[in-house]
Amino acid sequence: MLDFSELVLNTAEPVYAQINEFVKRKIFLGKVKKGDPLPSRRELATLLKINPNTAQKAFRALEEAGLVLTPKNTVSILYFDEELLLEIQREMTADIVAEFVKKLKENKLSFDEVTVLLRQEWEKGEKE
Amino acid sequence: MVEIEKLYFTYPNYDTVLENITFSVPTGQIVAILGANGAGKTTLLKLIAGLLVPDGNVQIRIDGKTPQQISGQIAFISEAGTYFNDLTPKAYGDFLRDFFPAFDKAYFDMLLDFFGLQERSVKKMSKGQKAKVEIAAGMAKRTPYIIMDEPFVGKDMFTRQDFMQALSGTLTGEETIFITTHEIREIENFVDRVIILKGNQIAIDITLDELRQEGKTIQELMKEMIGYEENSFYSFLDKTD
Repeated sequence: MLDFSELVLNTAEPVYAQINEFVKRKIFLGKVKKGDPLPSRRELATLLKINPNTAQKAFRALEEAGLVLTPKNTVSILYFDEELLLEIQREMTADIVAEFVKKLKENKLSFDEVTVLLRQEWEKGEKE
Repeated sequence: MVEIEKLYFTYPNYDTVLENITFSVPTGQIVAILGANGAGKTTLLKLIAGLLVPDGNVQIRIDGKTPQQISGQIAFISEAGTYFNDLTPKAYGDFLRDFFPAFDKAYFDMLLDFFGLQERSVKKMSKGQKAKVEIAAGMAKRTPYIIMDEPFVGKDMFTRQDFMQALSGTLTGEETIFITTHEIREIENFVDRVIILKGNQIAIDITLDELRQEGKTIQELMKEMIGYEENSFYSFLDKTD
């Protein structure tokens, strides 16, 4: 079952969006597979101390994003095709790079300075 | 569905507490009514619960009826307490079962157990224990409308979180809830909507999703609207130490 106990909610984004992001990240990191069951809406609400309508909204958002299927009269399961997986991978990577570049620009670093620093850091990691 | 339109309320001493209050709440929504002390939060809750009557001919409508007409469908959970001091929690439960048709005795007993409450008369209990009796009784009425006035008073952080967890796990999503509290942090991820009262009127009425899209927390909104900071009394304590 998809374990939501690691999800620590922040107060900056809508709760359903955080749940959506959490599931995408699990998929991206390969920690879950197609067909894994999700907790019930009530279990999710209790675990995260959110109200049942928010849990419902999160499930709907996941279904709309094509990440979750809820067959009739049974538990919801994770579902994604290759195309969606590639899209998530692109999105997650692009997000990291965008955030990284934004911070570098805030620190007034030039592209050339960054490439030098990046190479140093990269190679340091490889030597260790 | 709760509908309030151009509501005014003045106490018998001519002290006007609410002016031109208009909003409606769809079934299943969880609404925080916030504001500084004396802003009229409790008065508004009492009006919705039918414990007070608005000025003039304006009526609050709950599913098309007045609160007084459907009083059995509203649970009012208050800091002040609606229990009887001489009864034990279980005896109080028996009383409520006679009065509220949907009173869920099994759930009530489960909550008493969950809160670790002993069978002794309520008057011998601490403030925090009394509040737990009040919450258990209110929730076990299983009413579609739940009104909570400062439900966290007298409870420590762990009890507050346990309570939020119990609440999250027992709601069906059909209950419409109004809640006032100074413990903003506990409700940041729980409520659907925030209404802040200031100067007898609604200063802002916003859904949590909208608020987050503006990049704000409820605490920040409170600070912005009324200069309120949760637990700001700590800095006061620091200075007087």
